[in-house]
Amino acid sequence: MSFEEQILMEVKAEIIARAERRRRTRKRLFAGAAMAGLAAVAAVAVPLLTGSEQAAYAVTKNTNGTINVKLNEFKDADKLEQDLKRMGVSADITYLEAGKTCQGTRGDIVGGGSPEEWENSASAKAARLLAGGGVEIDPRQVGNGQTLVMMFAGDKDHVFGAKKSGTQWSLPTYVVNGQVKPCVVVDDPLWKDVDGSGRPPAGS
Amino acid sequence: MFRRQAEIATDPVAFEAFYRRHVDAVTRFLARRVDDPHMVADLVAEVFMAVLDSAHTYRAGRGTEIAWLCGVASNTLSAERRRAFKESRLTNRMSGQRPLDADDLARLEERIDAERKARQIFTAMADLPEGERAVLELVVIDQLTVTEAAMALGIRPGNAKVRLHRARRKMREVPLVREETSR
Repeated sequence: MSFEEQILMEVKAEIIARAERRRRTRKRLFAGAAMAGLAAVAAVAVPLLTGSEQAAYAVTKNTNGTINVKLNEFKDADKLEQDLKRMGVSADITYLEAGKTCQGTRGDIVGGGSPEEWENSASAKAARLLAGGGVEIDPRQVGNGQTLVMMFAGDKDHVFGAKKSGTQWSLPTYVVNGQVKPCVVVDDPLWKDVDGSGRPPAGS
Repeated sequence: MFRRQAEIATDPVAFEAFYRRHVDAVTRFLARRVDDPHMVADLVAEVFMAVLDSAHTYRAGRGTEIAWLCGVASNTLSAERRRAFKESRLTNRMSGQRPLDADDLARLEERIDAERKARQIFTAMADLPEGERAVLELVVIDQLTVTEAAMALGIRPGNAKVRLHRARRKMREVPLVREETSR
């Protein structure tokens, strides 16, 4: 792995570590509020999928209506889609090998017109990356006839949060109106640029 | 735009896009000032760590991402130089720590070599007053506009213009430099 890629991994790990620290601070605040006899509105998670030591993923519903998907392994995408459907989110999930992506765009993307439009769109708000390897999905952002498209790319045996250095992953997500086109797997140009030639990605 | 800047410090995906956009420019910026490949690599890591702490200071409309990033990079470099100076008085050595493989090393040495002229000019500029030298550096060597240089240094554009003018007058030969370093 090139030093650029190494540094990228280190800083991303730091971002996630900081988010984790912030989360823990908030949790302590909630605990304090409860003890003071105030209305405690902590995020109580209801595990739907526990059981054997290591399921490929775990889905939990938060009291604020969002859904957390914790990914342990890149498998059982169909089952995860069904679980999410039951919880009111129609999703299209693709797991890809490291360095791959789906060709072009896979349908009529909500907020796909301009960066400004994107920023406040359902596409930008529907899924948020979580510290420790997972996503938080907001079902309210995915309307009738719309699909949340998520493409996870990374090492096949990559275990999230295992602090294994040398692995990288990417997760493009967006909401699509109507039909979602199937994924045509191609090489991810952004992935390759930094790994190989050291030239900046196109457009920079 | 401002919100997207804050996002680069909290969202790994947004950060990755920002990083890939600018890592080359930052490496070049540092290769113009430091000639040890390990040190350059160390500093690249430190600059982007510093980005996490400073992302909230970026304001759209007051300059480009790259100008802001040059400001972060020069602050990181000054801090490192102060630290290294203190340390060198204790241990009498100063070098980078980051392990690099042969390929990294070759690429970085190439970059550093390509910026040799820029480093020579730095030596020539060493006698200028600090404030003037900083503006001249960003404009002539890093090819920022005067407004961008002002943003990177946290001063008003008018102020930067005056400093640049004074520095230029003291160093008549510097305008030639622009041709040598532009690509």
